[in-house]
Amino acid sequence: MKNLSKKTLNKSFVTWFYGNLTCFSQEHMQTFGYLCAMLPIVEELYEKEEDKKKAMDTYTAFFNTEPQIGTLVVGMTAGLEEAKANGQPIDGEAINGIRAGLMGPLAGIGDSMIVGTLIPILLGIGLGLSSGGNPLGAIFYIIVWNFLMWFGMKFAYFKGYELGGKAVEILVGEKAQAIRDSIIMIGTIVIGAVAASWINIHTSLILPGGGELQKTLDGIYPKMLSGAAVVFCWWLMTKRNISPTMVMLLLVVIAFVGVLAGFFDPGLSY
Amino acid sequence: MEINILQAVLLGICACLSSMPGLGGTTFGNYTLGRPLVAGLVVGLILGDVKTGIIIGAAIQVIYIALVTPGGTVSADVRAISYIGIPLAICAVKGMGLDPDTAQAQSMAAALGAAVGTLGTVLFYGTATMNLIWQHIGWKAVKNGEFKKLYLVDMGLPWISHFIFSFLPTVLITMAGAGMVDIMKSYLPMDGIAMKTLFTVGSLLPAVGVAILLKQVVKKAVDFITFFFGFTLAASMGLNLIAAAIIGSFFAVINYKIMMLQSKKTAPAGPANDDEDEEDI
Repeated sequence: MKNLSKKTLNKSFVTWFYGNLTCFSQEHMQTFGYLCAMLPIVEELYEKEEDKKKAMDTYTAFFNTEPQIGTLVVGMTAGLEEAKANGQPIDGEAINGIRAGLMGPLAGIGDSMIVGTLIPILLGIGLGLSSGGNPLGAIFYIIVWNFLMWFGMKFAYFKGYELGGKAVEILVGEKAQAIRDSIIMIGTIVIGAVAASWINIHTSLILPGGGELQKTLDGIYPKMLSGAAVVFCWWLMTKRNISPTMVMLLLVVIAFVGVLAGFFDPGLSY
Repeated sequence: MEINILQAVLLGICACLSSMPGLGGTTFGNYTLGRPLVAGLVVGLILGDVKTGIIIGAAIQVIYIALVTPGGTVSADVRAISYIGIPLAICAVKGMGLDPDTAQAQSMAAALGAAVGTLGTVLFYGTATMNLIWQHIGWKAVKNGEFKKLYLVDMGLPWISHFIFSFLPTVLITMAGAGMVDIMKSYLPMDGIAMKTLFTVGSLLPAVGVAILLKQVVKKAVDFITFFFGFTLAASMGLNLIAAAIIGSFFAVINYKIMMLQSKKTAPAGPANDDEDEEDI
């Protein structure tokens, strides 16, 4: 009975933690990171060069997902490879089937939960701590983010290794769905606050009666123009399918026209 | 303001570490050093003005608060935003004599950062394409069973790609760019159309960053209510971001409980559900 040592599993984890995207190409995104992470596992499990080669061959297949949540898959395959080396009825093809099946769904969860929600929440709080040039916000983000990811990814790796296929339940079960939904809610509220605190769109237009349009708008709903600009950009991207870069260019045109029309005037001089 | 060769080299090394696919690794490189908020601190330390660095990094961060790279396609490059855009923005703000802690200086920084970031996508595709050479060496190694070589392929050789596509552009552009501010000053007056447009664009750009993020969570108009709840907390009620996060957490807990109750209703509680029962007490 072959058993992977804790040391080998740790080496595999650290290799993945650091090297998952270091040799990225459009053709084979995380494949080389994956190969390097599996190498310590394969070297410990198999004696013969021939067997090692056969095992490594499994992991030459294309791999790409959100690499941080994808740690779970690396841990799972370490467990599966161990089972395979002990003669259980699993072959390389089955392992690759599982890998390929998990790549897409995990990328979706990772992109929306980690990159689209957790990072914006932490950055939002960091921005809040940075007012007046205070370095506390950046330090807060560096410490909290790296702490969460190091231990979170380690947890995912070893859970994947222990539970194998059952590990997926942690991420897609009913309870997980409710937790995800609630965390996204925090993220959306924080982003609302970020938008209100950091977007400063002002108009310099003077109304015919002599009043300032900006004051009138603020009287109706504070920071109305900033909120409206967000909804407008969202509408362009989701309902009109315009890419973010094109939206930015469109804003250049809007700014130019707005300046000419006297709607925008930053009011600066050297 | 001048950027000397030593400072430019340090910025260049940070650019190698922080990009996506960066040599600092995904978590510490791309998602830590690459974030403009963190880069503001790092660049500030390198250039000797932490306060200005943080203010400008934070202003640019809002635009890129949700920089997701689904399937490895990028619309902006973090190494360019953070280690070319932020240093240039610091030079521009200081060179023009603006107070960094004003909306105008932050608009200027945002516009510069976004322009550099968008152009920087060339660097992303350059690095990824050059890595194909190392991967080719890697495939040969796998074929011949020289597995130890894989570590070199994954973590060593990409430094060459980064020397060409991260280090050199950063060093050259930051050193040359610092002098550009004087030229800008003499040819583009602040009350001219070009500069007015630049500053206005800078004030509009953060809206794009926020909208990119909302694209994922807001599918229909009703979903905007959650967003405007947070917006109102800050804009009308004057709460800061930490207070808003705590109120958000409170509603998230309520939401979680409601969802768990709902799922119980639809699936009558069997003996297997006992761990869910604990949650509701």
